[in-house]
Amino acid sequence: MQKSTIQYLLINCVLAIVLISCGPVTKNYSPKKLDKTSYEAPYFSNPKTDYVYKTNITVYGNEMSGIFIAKKINDSIHRVVFTTEFGNKLLDFEISDKSFKVNSIVSELDRKILINTLRDDFRLLLKKEYLIQEQFENESDNIYKSADGNRDNYLFLSKKDQKLEKVIHASKTKEKITLTFSSENNIFAEKIEIIHQNIKLKIEFNYFKSE
Amino acid sequence: MKTKIYLFLLLLTVGNAAFAQEQKMSDAEIAAFKQDVNVVSKKIKTLSTDFVQYKHLDFLSKDIETSGKMIFKEPNMLQWQYKKPYNYSIVFKNGKILINDEGKKSAVDIGNSKIFGRINKLIVGSVSGNMFDDKEFTISYFKVKGQNLAKFIPKDATLKKYIKQIELTFDKEEATVVQVKLLESSEDYTRIVLKNKVINAKIDDSVFTN
Repeated sequence: MQKSTIQYLLINCVLAIVLISCGPVTKNYSPKKLDKTSYEAPYFSNPKTDYVYKTNITVYGNEMSGIFIAKKINDSIHRVVFTTEFGNKLLDFEISDKSFKVNSIVSELDRKILINTLRDDFRLLLKKEYLIQEQFENESDNIYKSADGNRDNYLFLSKKDQKLEKVIHASKTKEKITLTFSSENNIFAEKIEIIHQNIKLKIEFNYFKSE
Repeated sequence: MKTKIYLFLLLLTVGNAAFAQEQKMSDAEIAAFKQDVNVVSKKIKTLSTDFVQYKHLDFLSKDIETSGKMIFKEPNMLQWQYKKPYNYSIVFKNGKILINDEGKKSAVDIGNSKIFGRINKLIVGSVSGNMFDDKEFTISYFKVKGQNLAKFIPKDATLKKYIKQIELTFDKEEATVVQVKLLESSEDYTRIVLKNKVINAKIDDSVFTN
């Protein structure tokens, strides 16, 4: 008897947590019937394109700038390089949904916590395939929920022109990372921001065309 | 088997002929070349030049091209100013690095950054061409149609991690640097082409504020 009471309480607690936690990310959005079960993000998907951005990283008040370069080198892997304005390579990664390889990194940046953070950020930035489980909407966007391990990604597609404008990476209870995209043609993002909610880290990307 | 070796040797020679642009200098040629460059670089009090920077990464379909202006004034004031496709300027002055990134300003003390100090010295040395007495490099000398080429390999392991080799190309007649190539690996490098060089024009110190 006592055992089942405890179980009952536990289940209630879990339910309560789940119910509360469902709140933060989607509480301002209304549920909607699914209109698609998968989505392909367009912005880093063309293997013929060199994606080159002038980049500013602000971390706990410290500024760092350089050139961010990404290129799709096969079906699943992106090569990602960050250099100074002079062209010195600061880091060189190969990233896919499942794999990660550090080709090189300067000793000043060779910290596990930093590498892991950048790995996760870049993985989210470059991610192409999303499976959709739930859909919501607000005034301007359709919002698609896609499971990502034990977290979720919320994709914001504008109702007006179906552009991917925002991705929120969240735990069950909290928003962790927000990516915003500005794109003219929905093929290519001219301006991107990655903002972390739990640490003071912001990365800004501004596309530049070589002369 | 023998034919194979001959064929291989033939291929090697043909290959060499095709790449025959680089020819090692003789000792006498090295001495004359160093002398020429030293005479010219000693006369340099100020130098300003336009530059185009090509960042080559093996996996990219196109080099990343940026361009701007470089200004140097003796003894050690230097400004690199990128104008296209973005505005970014970096000044090396009195042991400090001043950065202006699209209007956002910051400063770094070189005193705290050994590597920046070295880079500063390298850049000034590269552009003025006066690097031959540098004990930190193993240097080799070549002739390439109408130009001279000096290759610098860092001796220091720390520096070597950042730069595998520096190649300075000199105009034969003027004995000044026309191209700087910084190799990070055999596949990846930064190539900087200098043009419209002006030597010893009056340059005010105020240029080196950022």
